[in-house]
Amino acid sequence: MMVKDGTILARALSDGEDRLLSADAPLSGLQLRCGGELPGTIAIPELLELVSKARRYGFRVARAVSAQDGAETVTAWVEVEPLGEAEGCNICVRSWHAVPIPAEDSTSAESRRMLTARHLAELSAQLDARQRVLAVVSDSEELAEAAAALEEGIGRLWTDILSLKDVAHQQPLHWRLMDGASVTVPGAQRAWRVTLIPHMQPGFDPVGFELLLLSDEAASDRLDILPVQAAPLVPARRSLVGQDIAPVLKQPISRIIANAETIRTRLAGPLPDAYSDYAGEIASAGKLLLELLDDMADLEVVESEGFSTAPDRIDLSEVARQAAGILGVRAREKGIVIEPPHQTDHLRAIAEFRRVLQVLLNLIGNAIRYSPENSHIWIRLEDMGGQARVIVADQGPGLSQEQQARVFEKYERLGRSGDGGTGLGLYISRSLARAMGGELTVESAPGQGARFMLDVPSDPDAPEN
Amino acid sequence: MIDKTVHPASGENVEAVLRDELARGDAMAETVLPILRHLVAAEDSSVFSDEILARVRGMLADIAASLLGGALGGDEGAGSAAETDETGILTRALIDNPALLSHVHSLALEWQLTERMQGRFAIDPVVSPLLQALISSPDAETQRLAMTFLAAQARWCQAQRRMQLPLRELPGDLFHAVLLTLRALAVRTPEIAQRAAQAEAAMRQSYDEGAGRLGLASRLIMSLGAGAQAALSVTHGGVALFLTALSLGSGQARDVVVLSTHEAQLARLALALRSAGLKPSAIEEQFLALHPEVTLPHGFEGVGRDFAAAILASGRYSG
Repeated sequence: MMVKDGTILARALSDGEDRLLSADAPLSGLQLRCGGELPGTIAIPELLELVSKARRYGFRVARAVSAQDGAETVTAWVEVEPLGEAEGCNICVRSWHAVPIPAEDSTSAESRRMLTARHLAELSAQLDARQRVLAVVSDSEELAEAAAALEEGIGRLWTDILSLKDVAHQQPLHWRLMDGASVTVPGAQRAWRVTLIPHMQPGFDPVGFELLLLSDEAASDRLDILPVQAAPLVPARRSLVGQDIAPVLKQPISRIIANAETIRTRLAGPLPDAYSDYAGEIASAGKLLLELLDDMADLEVVESEGFSTAPDRIDLSEVARQAAGILGVRAREKGIVIEPPHQTDHLRAIAEFRRVLQVLLNLIGNAIRYSPENSHIWIRLEDMGGQARVIVADQGPGLSQEQQARVFEKYERLGRSGDGGTGLGLYISRSLARAMGGELTVESAPGQGARFMLDVPSDPDAPEN
Repeated sequence: MIDKTVHPASGENVEAVLRDELARGDAMAETVLPILRHLVAAEDSSVFSDEILARVRGMLADIAASLLGGALGGDEGAGSAAETDETGILTRALIDNPALLSHVHSLALEWQLTERMQGRFAIDPVVSPLLQALISSPDAETQRLAMTFLAAQARWCQAQRRMQLPLRELPGDLFHAVLLTLRALAVRTPEIAQRAAQAEAAMRQSYDEGAGRLGLASRLIMSLGAGAQAALSVTHGGVALFLTALSLGSGQARDVVVLSTHEAQLARLALALRSAGLKPSAIEEQFLALHPEVTLPHGFEGVGRDFAAAILASGRYSG
C-alpha cells in the first residue's frame, strides 16, 4: 500500500520520457536552478534516476534525493509512483531540507577548471618556460590552419602566431595575465580564448606550459542549424549595446571582477584589511557594470521599433510560483518570506511566459532588496474582467506620490546608490508589460509598503478562472 | 561439477572443459584454508558465525519460497517434494546476486546487534527511547509516521526471529532483481511463465518502497531535520534508527554502515560518526556502547568533519 497519509510539500508529474510536465515549488525552483526547464527533462540527477527506475521497475519507489543548486545542498524525501506502461510518474515530495554549500577551496576549484578546459580544448600545445611553442596537437578542422602555423613556428613565441585581442602591451606578458584572453585565430570563424596551464612546483617559476584553445560557441556542425532557430524578430536593425558593446565589454569586466575577487579573498597572499575591502568594492562595481550591460541590452530590445512578444495561453499563478521559487534563496538570506499564490489558484492570461517571468523576477527582486529583514512579500492574483492582474506587495519603506510618478522612468534611482540597482529594471518591466498589451502600475504610501500591479490581457477562452 | 549440456564429441572441447574445471577446482582449493581458518577461529561475533550463516540461508530460502508461492499459487501440493526442489534451485540462483547476499547478510548482522544491545542495555528492539518520544510528539504527522515505523519494526523483529524476510521489505533495486531471477527460472514451460508473469505484475503493483521498514526509517529520520542527531546514539535511537541516521548522515549505503559496526571495521565506524557530525566526545560514548573494549586512537579529536568524510570516501568499499 502507498503511504497515503501525511503532509505533501510538493507534487509533480513526469511523462514517459522523464520530462517534468508540472511541478510545485520548491521542486520547480530546484529544477530551474539545476539548469532544467519546465516543462523539460528532469535536471536533478538523483531524481531523474529515481523516476526512470520507478518507470522501468513498474512499482513505487521512495528515497532520499539530494542535489546541489550552486548555493545550497537540498535533501528531500521523494516518493515516485509510475502511472503505467509508457506513461510518466506521479512525484510527491514529503520533506525538504536545504543547507548552504560550504565554500570550495581554491585549489580543487582550480584543478576542476583545468580538467574541464582540457576536456573541451580543441587545440593543445606544449610551450617551454618562455612560452615558445614545442609541439601542437589538434583534430579540429577549423583550427587546421592555426595548428599548421603553430607547427611551422615551433621555437617561436606563441603570441607571434596567435595574436591577443584587446591587449596592446609589449609581449610576452606575465602568463597569469594571458590566461583566459581572447585570441585571433587565423582561418577560424568562431571566437577563441586561451587557457594557460603552467607546469610548476609551488614556489618556483613554471618550467613550461600547456596552451589550450577553447571556444564558447558550439562547433560548426551545429552552427548550421542555429541561424534558422534564431531568426531575428527585428530585422535590419543593428543594436549598438546588445550586439556591439556588450560582448566586447563583458569579458574584460568579468576579468576585473575575477581578479578583484582574488585580491579580496587574499588568494595570492596576505593583505591588510583595507586593501581587501577596496578589492571588494571593485568587484561589486564590476558586477553592477555587468548588470547594467544586460539591462541596457534589454532596453535596446524593448525600445526597438519592431519589438513584439510571443503571446501564449499561460497561468499567471504558475509563473508567480516559479518566480517565487527562483528568488526563494535570496529572500531567505534576509529572513523574508515570499507568499506566492496557492496551487489551487489559477488565473489564465494571454502573454509571453518568459517576459511575465522576467517582470515578476524584477518586481520580487526589488521587493527583496528594499524590504526590511524578516518581513513578508505577497504575490496575489486578481481577475479584473478583461485584464488579469498579478500584485507584488511588500513591507518596505513605500513610495510618495511624487516618487511613484518617477519610479518607472529610465535610470531613475530615487536618490539611492550603492545597492546594486541600475535604475532600468522597472522601466524595462513597464515596457514589456505594455508590449504584451498590458500595464505596470504602483500603489503606495510612505511607510505603508508598495504594491506593484502587472496587468495583462486575460484569456477569454479560459475554462474557469 | 561438470556441465552436462556440453557435447563431449569434440576433443578440443573436452580439453577446454577439463582445463576450466581444473582451474576452478584449484581456485576453490586455494580458498579452503583461509576460510576454514576463519571459521574455526571465529567466535560468536564473527561475520561468518554459524548463526549469521543460518540466518542468511533462512532469509534467502524465505524469499525464494515467497516468490514461488506467488508464482505457482501454492494451491497444488504445497510443500511437495517438487516444490522444495524448486525452492532450492531458486535459492541458489538468489545467492548469485552479490547485492542481495550482502543486504541479507547485513540484516542478519543488524538483528544480532539488536539482540546484543537488548542484552547489554535493555534497549527494546522495537520501541527505543527516541521512538517513544516521537510517538508522544505533539506533531500529528511525526506521531503517525513514528507509529507506522513502529509497526513495521515489530513485524521485522518477528520475521527475524523466524529467519524470514518478506518480499515487500526488500529495497527497490533488489526487489526488481529477485523478480528478474524468478522470470529467468520460470521460462521452462509457457504455462508456468505465464503464471509467473501475472504474479510478477501483481507483486509490482502492490509493492511500495516507502512503506517498507527501511523506507519508513529513512523518512522518519529525514522528517526530524536537524533533530536527526538524536538518533545517532545507539542507546537512545535504537539500533534500526541509529543505523539509518548514520547512513544518511555519512552518505554511505545502509548495508555498509551495518557491516561497519563489526569489530573489524572500527575505523569506518569512527569516521562515519564523525562525518555525520558527532563530536569526538559523543563518538567515544557510542564506542563505549558498541565496543566497550576499544579506545579511539590518540589525536582523533583533531580529525574534522569534512576530513573524516574525505578519508571515508577514499576507502575502497564504499558500497
